[in-house]
Amino acid sequence: MREADERYFETLESQLEDAFDVAERAKQRGGDPKPEVEIPTARDMADRVENILGIEGVAERVRELEGQMSREEAALELVDDFVEGTVGDYDSREGKVEGAVRTAVALLTEGVVAAPIEGIDRVELLENDDGTEFINVYYAGPIRSAGGTAQALSVLVADYARALLGIDQYKARDDEIGRYAEEVDLYDKDTGLQYSPKEKETKFIAEHMPIMLDGEATGDEEVSGYRDLERVDSNSPRGGMCLVLAEGIALKAPKIQRYTRNLDEIDWPWLQDLIDGTIGESETEADDEGSEDASGDGDEADDEGDDADGDEESDDVPGPPRVDPAKKYLRDLIAGRPVFSHPSKAGGFRLRYGRARNHGFATAGVHPATMHLVDDFLATGTQIKTERPGKAAGVVPVDTIEGPTVRLANGEVRRIDDAEEALEVRNGVEKIIDLGEYLVNYGEFVENNHPLAPASYTVEWWSQDLDAAGADVQAMRDSPRIDLDDPSADEALEWATEYDAPLHPKYTYLWHDVSVEQVGALADAVEDSHIAQADGAYADPEAEDRAGDAHTDDGALVFPRTDAVQETLEHLLVEHTQDDDTVTVTDWVPLVRTLGFSRSLERDWTFADLSERARTYGESESVDAIGVSEDAEPEDGQNAVEAINEVAPFEVRERAPTRIGNRMGRPEKSERRDLSPAVHTLSPIGEAGGAQRDVAKATKHADDMSDTPGRVEVEIARRRCRDCGTETHHACCPDCGTTADPVYVCPDCESEVEPDESGRAECPRCETLASPTQYKELDLRAAYRNALESVGERETAFDTLKAVKGLTSGEKAPEPMEKGILRAKHDVSAFKDGTVRYDMTDLPVTAVRPAELDVTADRLRALGYDEDIHGDPLTHDDQLVELKVQDIVLSDGAAEHMLQTARFVDDLLKQYYGLERFYEFDDREDLVGELVFGMAPHTSAATVGRVVGFTSAAVGYAHPYFHAAKRRNCDGDEDCVMLLMDGLLNFSRKFLPDKRGGRMDAPLVMSSRIDPSEIDDEAHNMDIMATYPREFYEATRELKDPTEVEDVMKIAEETLGTDREYTEFMHTHDTTNIAAGPDLSAYKTLGSMEDKMDAQLEISRKLRAVVESDVAERIIEYHFLPDLIGNLRAFSRQEVRCLDCGESFRRAPLTGDCRECGGRVNLTVHEGSVNKYIDTAIRVAEEFGARDYTKQRLEVLEQSIESVFEDDHNKQSGIADFM
Amino acid sequence: MPLETPARIVSELASRGYNAEREAVTRIADAPDPAATLDRALETVPDDALKLTTDHVDSVIEATETARSDPKAESGSTPASQADAAASADHDPSVSTGTTPGSSAVEGGTVPHETEGSRDVDTSLRAIEVANDMTGQSTGTGEYSDFVTVFRDRYEKLASKLRGRVNHRPTDAIESMAGGSEAALIGMVSDIRSTASGHWLVELEDTNGTFPCLVMKDRPIADLVQQLLMDEVIAVEGTLADDAGILFVDSLHFPDVPRTHKPSTADRHVQAALISDVHVGSQEFMEDAWRRFTDWLHTPEAEHVEYLLIAGDMVEGVGVYPEQDKELDIIDIYDQYEAFSEYLKEVPGDMEIRMIPGNHDAVRLAEPQPGFDEELRDIMTAHDAQVHSNPALITVEGVTVLMYHGVSLDEVIAELPDEEANYDEPHKAMYQLLKKRHVAPQYGGHTRLAPEDRDYLVMEEVPDVFHTGHVHKIGWGEYHNVLALNSGCWQAQTDFQKSVNIDPDAGFAPILDLDTLDMTVRKFT
Repeated sequence: MREADERYFETLESQLEDAFDVAERAKQRGGDPKPEVEIPTARDMADRVENILGIEGVAERVRELEGQMSREEAALELVDDFVEGTVGDYDSREGKVEGAVRTAVALLTEGVVAAPIEGIDRVELLENDDGTEFINVYYAGPIRSAGGTAQALSVLVADYARALLGIDQYKARDDEIGRYAEEVDLYDKDTGLQYSPKEKETKFIAEHMPIMLDGEATGDEEVSGYRDLERVDSNSPRGGMCLVLAEGIALKAPKIQRYTRNLDEIDWPWLQDLIDGTIGESETEADDEGSEDASGDGDEADDEGDDADGDEESDDVPGPPRVDPAKKYLRDLIAGRPVFSHPSKAGGFRLRYGRARNHGFATAGVHPATMHLVDDFLATGTQIKTERPGKAAGVVPVDTIEGPTVRLANGEVRRIDDAEEALEVRNGVEKIIDLGEYLVNYGEFVENNHPLAPASYTVEWWSQDLDAAGADVQAMRDSPRIDLDDPSADEALEWATEYDAPLHPKYTYLWHDVSVEQVGALADAVEDSHIAQADGAYADPEAEDRAGDAHTDDGALVFPRTDAVQETLEHLLVEHTQDDDTVTVTDWVPLVRTLGFSRSLERDWTFADLSERARTYGESESVDAIGVSEDAEPEDGQNAVEAINEVAPFEVRERAPTRIGNRMGRPEKSERRDLSPAVHTLSPIGEAGGAQRDVAKATKHADDMSDTPGRVEVEIARRRCRDCGTETHHACCPDCGTTADPVYVCPDCESEVEPDESGRAECPRCETLASPTQYKELDLRAAYRNALESVGERETAFDTLKAVKGLTSGEKAPEPMEKGILRAKHDVSAFKDGTVRYDMTDLPVTAVRPAELDVTADRLRALGYDEDIHGDPLTHDDQLVELKVQDIVLSDGAAEHMLQTARFVDDLLKQYYGLERFYEFDDREDLVGELVFGMAPHTSAATVGRVVGFTSAAVGYAHPYFHAAKRRNCDGDEDCVMLLMDGLLNFSRKFLPDKRGGRMDAPLVMSSRIDPSEIDDEAHNMDIMATYPREFYEATRELKDPTEVEDVMKIAEETLGTDREYTEFMHTHDTTNIAAGPDLSAYKTLGSMEDKMDAQLEISRKLRAVVESDVAERIIEYHFLPDLIGNLRAFSRQEVRCLDCGESFRRAPLTGDCRECGGRVNLTVHEGSVNKYIDTAIRVAEEFGARDYTKQRLEVLEQSIESVFEDDHNKQSGIADFM
Repeated sequence: MPLETPARIVSELASRGYNAEREAVTRIADAPDPAATLDRALETVPDDALKLTTDHVDSVIEATETARSDPKAESGSTPASQADAAASADHDPSVSTGTTPGSSAVEGGTVPHETEGSRDVDTSLRAIEVANDMTGQSTGTGEYSDFVTVFRDRYEKLASKLRGRVNHRPTDAIESMAGGSEAALIGMVSDIRSTASGHWLVELEDTNGTFPCLVMKDRPIADLVQQLLMDEVIAVEGTLADDAGILFVDSLHFPDVPRTHKPSTADRHVQAALISDVHVGSQEFMEDAWRRFTDWLHTPEAEHVEYLLIAGDMVEGVGVYPEQDKELDIIDIYDQYEAFSEYLKEVPGDMEIRMIPGNHDAVRLAEPQPGFDEELRDIMTAHDAQVHSNPALITVEGVTVLMYHGVSLDEVIAELPDEEANYDEPHKAMYQLLKKRHVAPQYGGHTRLAPEDRDYLVMEEVPDVFHTGHVHKIGWGEYHNVLALNSGCWQAQTDFQKSVNIDPDAGFAPILDLDTLDMTVRKFT
């Protein structure tokens, strides 16, 4: 580690320690469930594993083993320790196995996710039919978060422990094997599995599995055969078990085999059969494809056929290299979330390779002008579902790529490379002819194991071609007179001819998107055109030519206007203007030169001169992936690039061979996290506070006149003071202030029970679990008054103080109401664990400018940012500096919320704990440099981060390693931040719900520093280069596997474990502002679902790459029809509910009234919810030309709805009835 | 079935002017149904032949056996002889499902081939009445009160069938009875649970409230609990517990079909074809089989078939399941009905056609389903085919046929033990419905209900024939003298059926003698 990095971490850690000290002092004074900070600090993974598991000695042993072996091997090695008892304090054999299995899962998930504690319920020793013993591992749903490999290895570890302990293998009974097969299948149908094993596979695994896989029922559906088995508790599918068997064992068999081979004690020879048998895997995929799309295109683009060049794959029609269109991303299209481009369709996003500084790790770079032109549906952080290389990506603004090309109402076709301009012209846009470029980094292809798709011909590539052709590119780049990115037409033509290099991308048009015939027609049109000078006079081209190179104004080329020529120019992306008679192209010389014309518009070729190959190049793409046919008669020769190369005097490359389809996924998020209804204090008030759980209201509530107001009976903790023996529900004795301990009482015999070491308290006499709670009548009035008094606040300080109905935690320890009063005062609310949280969509950034973060260079220097990315001292606000791994950028909303939280924390320290204020912020600048926790759902470890600035985008920008440490990538995932001191003071495990998954999304441990080796390895696939080499671009045209070019590429993995592991994250593309484009997606600013859908259809009309009827069709098919059909079905089999007591009944009672209270009963599904969309759906179907099939389905549904809800006798067939 | 002696075969042959090889006669005598085999052999013998050869008889027997390979469906003119254990116990010969051995032989043998194609029908002898048709009578508007009304109606109608058998006390009256006393109750099943000790707790509901009834697991009637469906109406008798909080059930009664039920028959020899699930528009619609069926209807053999009853799913429909359009031969729903209408035209013009909709047809899915609207009726005017609601009670020359499409059969088969109801013997599931006197008792699950002013799904009257389809399996039998028939379909195995291993019985036409209620299943594949 570099010294600078060490210094950085030390700064963070000392800051953390200071805060910790304050919090510890506070905790000792207050009434928290525990008198100490409950989030232990973990410096590394070993610490986290130990802390999450709560098994002492694991960390030390893990550190010992880590240097010597892989993590998987370490997990197996630890089994020995558990069995021998050197690690963990387990007496029983099942306990040892359990410890080993949990540790293995924790290790493999870097001690971050909740799977080891929540996903494995217990391990049991059971008896086989032959009297021998076997091990049963009882899984639960949250094992999902461990991932397939860890799931599979958990079984292996259990088996290894079993073997070492000399326990026999599990011998499955026949009915149990059948049950596994039926159950996995049922779970797959019900919930869905990533991999659906075939019945014979499941049976095969069940038969050979040396460990019994068992688990908690997770669904309501029940198996129909193999019910009520003796050794299986439930008839419902056991989700955890199904995951382990299917996504673990079945899917990861090859990985497990690697480890079984190294272990003498265990032998899973059957894995080989499974692996060989999984040749069926590809069959399954093929089946899927067949069923979901009859048009025969591949679902995934990684079909083998892709490797073949176009020349080979189609019979005799030569064609360019292309990846197959994939339409999976269009599935389940949602009303209100637009399609931006249909699969691989011309006019859609053009794939450009590179990584911008706010890019990588499952993101997609889009030009801000595009974001505005798609009616603001795209904003920074909006998730898109994409055709390739992954499934989804977070959108980031990158303005160093090309923007969209549009046709305006006046006929002008223009490329828009500026967000401001986009906003100016937006209302006049008639058609979006091209969405612009779409930046994807190489690492994305590595991560998704997707073959490289042909690259756009861009400046990055061209300059390397030019260099290879012999030009001194470095000198040109250094020359002040030459702009390599944006040369004049003359320069470009000169370079192309002088160096025999391909034409510059700026003047390379999209010849591959037009047919050879169209090119022929365009050439003919050139012959009929003339050149107009700027003043409108005719020019004499001969004279110009003779004048040599010195012409500065070539005038404009004026074509007689025909729709065909105009369309060809549009598809080529040639900017032009038009009126009724003419189409005018300025900067026309490269166009006509490319077409084989001289400046004087003469050509020496005819259509007949073209070779057969050129004339037939490119298969017809008139039928695209979604089966839409544009041309009645598809013909060969749809790609004119070969023809152009035959007529042009220089080489012309395919400008944008890969188009990437996508649609909107979920919108970006930047919102405070409130429970519903929001909760200020985790103290129980029963039903007394009404639906709002209003404490003030509860203090006045009385069930009837004879009751004293404000007295409510709730289930609450039972504790006793250590010193004076006072009984209380508080954590501290109200009399002497000493800690009070929970008292466990047996519910049957009412005797007190001492909990054992593991915290279980079982009554020795009754063998029932003793409970640490009691039903107690609380005097809310007094409690509320005392709390107000104790923090010196009045009721007017806040609107409403909201509490909870009851506590969900095991001990039901309430939170001091004082905290709630202060939260209400500062308008923040508590999550289930007592912390205040703010959610944001995750996005990566590796280099930032102080100015865009709304901070000064000085402020950043104070945080240790001494140099910019070029090594120059940081002095200006617009210098680019490399972001440190644990520094994060807050959205404006998050900053505001953190400020409120800081004020709450300050008041809490001062008014409740009696300490000094900690933060004392005046404005948000003061937040810079402060520590926060980052914390993702499904995990149990928080990561410490430091605020460096703010962004107007509704996202949380941070280093990709920070996100990876939380086990998130950036494809639209979101997670939360908490203010450090709030977490330290207010989090308690005692508040966590006592149910499955209760410990997820809770900071059971915090990581104080990020070790790049100990984070989600997806982040290691991010490339960190400043330029991609020419070999890479060339490889893309061969559709090579990304690993084939890894030698010439550099990904983050290469720096792991070196001095450079925290630095030198280079990027190929800069962007002016990481928050460019709209601040919020239109999806969030539009009101009703109907408005959103209208906007969605509106944009689909404008986009050339979108087939609007398909969008309408899909909305109807996937949104309206399921809704209508589902609600109609629900209506005819609905439950009914009592309006008075809320009791629901499967069927209307014969009495008509509520069986419980005699109250009024009513339907749960009404006519209104059944027919709410039918009119809209029919309108959309009509307006956007849905298929007759779809229209008829709607018609039949409409009639069905009418038939159910209309009285035939009252039907009015027309006005005639009244006449 | 008595064996035909070779001597009789030879004399029969001689009377028709044929000679025969000795071995050929033996073969015929050994065939499972010598009379039919003989008929078939003679029908197919070459015109110029005078002597029946062994080879020829072999080929006939082989063809018949292929057709017979389906375990339930007897092929060709072979009389149906499905002997159901339960039904045959108290067999009434007059409504036997099996025909006398010679009957079809006589039928086939007496009609000269030359008269084929001509039908000489006196339509004035026909009589057809329809009851329980709710087409155009749907008055429900989807209010809560509609649901209450329909269930009360069900309770009242079915309770009236049980009142004579037990001394019903309303639930609120039972609540106030002394512990330990005897009590009886007629109620709608509102809940069935098994207790921790394996007994059954059945909650029964009447118009006053609910009452828990306990059926001990070791009592013989515990098996009946397995047959219970939610929302059917039953009667129980038993003893109240000491605290009068629960009734210990001693006996349990279903509304049921009386064992004494005597079906009515037609006054003349006339037949009806009872088919279902034509599925026109599906790629799997068996056009050839249909054509053979309609061709056959023109033959003299079919001259008495004057009625055609279709139990739903005339067409394949649209949007019945996801991505259905990819398996449709005719994608347009109206075109499907046009095509169906065309196929119907192949049926002799004098036949009386009645049908009800099924779940693939273009009407609401919720039951009862009204008949088609005017637009669809207009399409099918050609043959003047009438469409009634599902269910509907159609009385043909005195024989009442309860037509119901059969969606509830899926649920009955899923809910009840395999031996009571399964897909290979769909008629057994129908027995259950007859026993419950309701075509779709269970609410809230698979079957959908549209509440009307009365429960059209109750079998108020005992039908003589109960005709369903939907499950695409053929099966028939007698239950308390009621002929329960599930006709097969005219759609070959679909990809979906293949994937779940359902092998449909396609291309059969059950032909019912309305004067004897004898049934013959003809195969047209």
